[in-house]
Amino acid sequence: MSRVITITSGKGGVGKTTSTANLGTALALQGLKVAVVDADIGLRNLDVVLGLENRIVYDLVDVVEGRCRLRQALIKDKHFPDLCLLPAAQTRDKDAVTADDMIALTNQLRAEFDYVLIDSPAGIEAGFRNAIAGADEVLIVTTPEVAAVRDADRIIGLVEAFEKGHPRLIINRLKPRMVSRGEMMSIDDVLQILAIDLIGVVPDDELIVTSTNRGEVAVLDRNSRAGRAFAEIARRLAGEDIPITVFDDSSGLLNRIFGAFGIRPRGSER
Amino acid sequence: MSFLDALFGKRERSSDVARERLLTVLVHDRVKLTPDMMEQLKADLSAVIARYVPSVDAGAIEVTLLRGEAVDHLKADIPLRRTPQKL
Repeated sequence: MSRVITITSGKGGVGKTTSTANLGTALALQGLKVAVVDADIGLRNLDVVLGLENRIVYDLVDVVEGRCRLRQALIKDKHFPDLCLLPAAQTRDKDAVTADDMIALTNQLRAEFDYVLIDSPAGIEAGFRNAIAGADEVLIVTTPEVAAVRDADRIIGLVEAFEKGHPRLIINRLKPRMVSRGEMMSIDDVLQILAIDLIGVVPDDELIVTSTNRGEVAVLDRNSRAGRAFAEIARRLAGEDIPITVFDDSSGLLNRIFGAFGIRPRGSER
Repeated sequence: MSFLDALFGKRERSSDVARERLLTVLVHDRVKLTPDMMEQLKADLSAVIARYVPSVDAGAIEVTLLRGEAVDHLKADIPLRRTPQKL
């Protein structure tokens, strides 16, 4: 059974595209067939994050409007032939696609792939609704900042209103040292406010910037703490019940296992 | 990349890689030339040039879009085969 998972956030710039690229690559590393779909029509980005920008011939809108077959628009990843990108159109806007188009498209992708990850545009408008239309489940990315958490809360309500089940949360760009100084909201703070299940915590990591500069993804860099966190999230997505590790920046890997505090990655039993 | 970096075989800095990749992507976004159209352009170019210069190497033509300060450039590199001269 293939699964369609949309990665969204409400607020822009919190790491949706980075999360999609890394989770897609991590699932492909596990030997699964994965399609990553850029649903941000008009603001294409997933291609540059994966370093595939020079290979685009057709895009999602070309498929929807029948100018090419789905297979022609899918771009194979540089490292994993079982990882494919369906790029967004850069010269159109989000009205070029409807929710029904997206449902039809995801159903086509289900036939070929184990996982379909959809990178949603920011916002709560048509683009977001199209991005979740064909999804079985939704991951919400936030950073531990007031604006991002507020928008995440709004999005959680909408995802539930669209009957996409209970979304799970990725807390991105956590700075453990700031949290310990009391200068940044902790994981518990964010979870209490949003009251949803946590699927993983990604530490702030400069290697995300340098790997993205090169069009590489952090999960392939064993020195990247963020990359290791994404690899863990991918295992959890695939159904493994493993404790959530917070990869600390001060002492390398500081195994703060949440189980010890009674916090488990709930929802991972599905 | 500095001379010393080059000497010691250090990797190009990722910020430089990022800037170059971005310049390419941005100019392509603006000019809206798809890879298909690029290929067609190369084929047309070689056909026109071959009418004047038969030694054009059609397969080796490189057409690139470059972002400049004030204007962008469509640059074509058209190699000609060297044929031995007849006496």
